[in-house]
Amino acid sequence: MGLLEPTREAFALLFRGDPELLQIIWLSLWLSIAAIALIAPPAIALGVLLAKRRFPGQRTLVVLAQALLSFPTVVIGLVIYLLLSRRGPLGSFELLFSPTAIVIGYMVIAFPILVVFTVSAVQGADPRVFETARSLGASRMRAALTILWEVRFGITAAIVNAFGRVVSEVGCAIMVGGNIAGLTRNMPTAIALETSKGDFAQGIALGMVLMAIALGINVVMALLQGEGGLK
Amino acid sequence: MSQVLLAAEGLQRRLGGRRVLDGISLNLERGQGYVLSGDNGSGKSTLLRVLAGLEAADAGVLRFQGEQTQLPRYPDSWRPRAVYVHQHPYLFHTSVAGNIAYGLKARGEPRERWLHKVEEAMDWAGVREVAAVPPQKLSGGEKQRVAMARAKVLTPELLLLDEPTANLDAEGRRRVMDLLARLYAEGVSVLIACHDRELIELPGVQRLHLENGKLS
Repeated sequence: MGLLEPTREAFALLFRGDPELLQIIWLSLWLSIAAIALIAPPAIALGVLLAKRRFPGQRTLVVLAQALLSFPTVVIGLVIYLLLSRRGPLGSFELLFSPTAIVIGYMVIAFPILVVFTVSAVQGADPRVFETARSLGASRMRAALTILWEVRFGITAAIVNAFGRVVSEVGCAIMVGGNIAGLTRNMPTAIALETSKGDFAQGIALGMVLMAIALGINVVMALLQGEGGLK
Repeated sequence: MSQVLLAAEGLQRRLGGRRVLDGISLNLERGQGYVLSGDNGSGKSTLLRVLAGLEAADAGVLRFQGEQTQLPRYPDSWRPRAVYVHQHPYLFHTSVAGNIAYGLKARGEPRERWLHKVEEAMDWAGVREVAAVPPQKLSGGEKQRVAMARAKVLTPELLLLDEPTANLDAEGRRRVMDLLARLYAEGVSVLIACHDRELIELPGVQRLHLENGKLS
């Protein structure tokens, strides 16, 4: 079978606004945005803390966050699966194979990305920012928020990167979400499933959407770099 | 009668095994201008930063208007009262007016009050003509004047200026010198660390010299 026919069908699905396809795209975006929105505030706060404060174990935490960056997402999925499974410590919440389980997985995947990027952005901030703010009477909290403002392009890059990582993630989402149609089937898991069934049209259509998102993310990053704010 | 604004006793600061401040004591009087001279690395900036609470001294006592602290503890409430302006001031990524308003906003002043003060400070520093320019694109002299306006708008009891005329072109230096002369004339207590002979020899200014960690 050639590529031409399924590609033509893929375009047809996209332009027709196939309801199943749209539902999968919507769910993917929604779960990714929810996960980032929930995990970004604590992860960024931890990143600022790790960058600005010296305390025992601080270096270990940074190294751990860096190590988690390269952790296979399928292993993260396995750990969350074991925690959420019926016999697991969190089994009573009955979250396995639910959108919430995927959001939890995405949060775990996004967490180290946000922390490490924030640490890097804040450490790269001009040291005069904090002392200027403090000298002008800002509280420690306000001075820390001023640093975040000054490195906002770096922080935005962290958020955009984390979103890009989770929206295209497949291993964890399949394990903890179960790829249930209409409930937990998102773009990457649908591509994997449809391809295994030999239905390439939907896979190609979703692949094109994912590539468009990836392209969009890169355009955003390039624009941020153009602002000269990326550290 | 002179009134002591800030008194320091036995300030000690060690950096890399070297005594940068070696038991420094001084009295700064209200409304008086001071210049602090000394070679590069003599500790002028360190002394200013210790007085502003930006750098911890190893030991010593500070008295601000009779209120006393044992260093390295430095009360937060003293910070906007003794404002330090860096040799290469950092201007936040906001407008010129936003920079000048920063300390007033941090202090929680209502918008209608700080707006007026910021306008006045912009006129005082002569930065109104560059108000629309992104702060990062200002010249060194313009940045210095914005930073001075940002500090002065807080009506601090003591201004600590670190080499305010260093690395400026002739025009930038002249305009900063004008501001300094006006600060003196307005009776603002100022301590300036500098190498600039013209600044050091300004009439009516008390001279301090820092050498080997000691004042003379």
